[in-house]
Amino acid sequence: MSLSKEITISKSSVPKVALLVLATIFAFGVFEVGFDQGQLFSIAFGDQAYADMYIHELTHDMRHAAGFPCH
Amino acid sequence: MRTSLFIGIILLAGCSAGIIHGLVNLVLVEPYLDKAIGIENQHMFASGEAKDNPQFWAEYYSYRAWQKGGQLLSGAILGMSIGSLYGIVFGYSRNILPGNSFAKKALALAAIMWITLYLIPFAKYPANPPTVGDPATIVLRETLYVAFIAISGFGALGFYQIYKRLKSRKMVAFIGYAGLMGAAFALMPQNPDVITTSMDLVNGFRAVSIVGVSAFWLSLGLILGVLWQKLQPDKVKQSKFQ
Repeated sequence: MSLSKEITISKSSVPKVALLVLATIFAFGVFEVGFDQGQLFSIAFGDQAYADMYIHELTHDMRHAAGFPCH
Repeated sequence: MRTSLFIGIILLAGCSAGIIHGLVNLVLVEPYLDKAIGIENQHMFASGEAKDNPQFWAEYYSYRAWQKGGQLLSGAILGMSIGSLYGIVFGYSRNILPGNSFAKKALALAAIMWITLYLIPFAKYPANPPTVGDPATIVLRETLYVAFIAISGFGALGFYQIYKRLKSRKMVAFIGYAGLMGAAFALMPQNPDVITTSMDLVNGFRAVSIVGVSAFWLSLGLILGVLWQKLQPDKVKQSKFQ
């Protein structure tokens, strides 16, 4: 006769999927808030995005406050 | 490690700390930004680049509302982003960080990352309000800022590896990191832009900027530490057959 017993173990390694997801969020978020000058929206709107700079304006105050060079 | 829980608590902690950062900025930093942008406006009127008329002010208040509102959204995005890096480092280093609970370990790591990724780079390339900064030098300033953060961050990681391998005289690793950063301070170029506005405004802005970013790191460490302690994403239940 076999008995089933539930035990809790601690796994120390960081899953590769989590590493990939978090590294992507890190790179994308820092670029958008800290450095985007129209690049993201230029994918959809072309050169006009560099003139409008919607993301730059949206993140403008946080960009200055967090210490990123802004303009 | 439960992957979705691990990612979830990191993003929740980062988002919450980022919103706190945005709220602190709305209260403390915005008055300085308004003052600095006011000076920029006066320069534009004086040079003829813009006209002081109702149409200008209608547009001005419209985009300032967009920028101020953006503090919270961009705070949340930046918080999740920086929180992701912090979470990765915490995931790998939690068993070797000082402290007898995950809450204390999370705070210890937040303090280390606050110093290496923010405070030391800030000493070389401090935050500046609008009115300071020539648009022609933006790429150079961004490159210098990122390079300095990378040198500090990877330098800390490298000297930690040396610290681990040293059996005695572990202070050598701290001295090595200090030497590396001292060399980076001396060798890397200064911010090329001359400050022509009031230093009272610039220094006041820098002081509240430090308060805001420090509030972010403190909140991030506290929130992730409490969530990790409570939910323990690294504990996995397994069935064992006997």
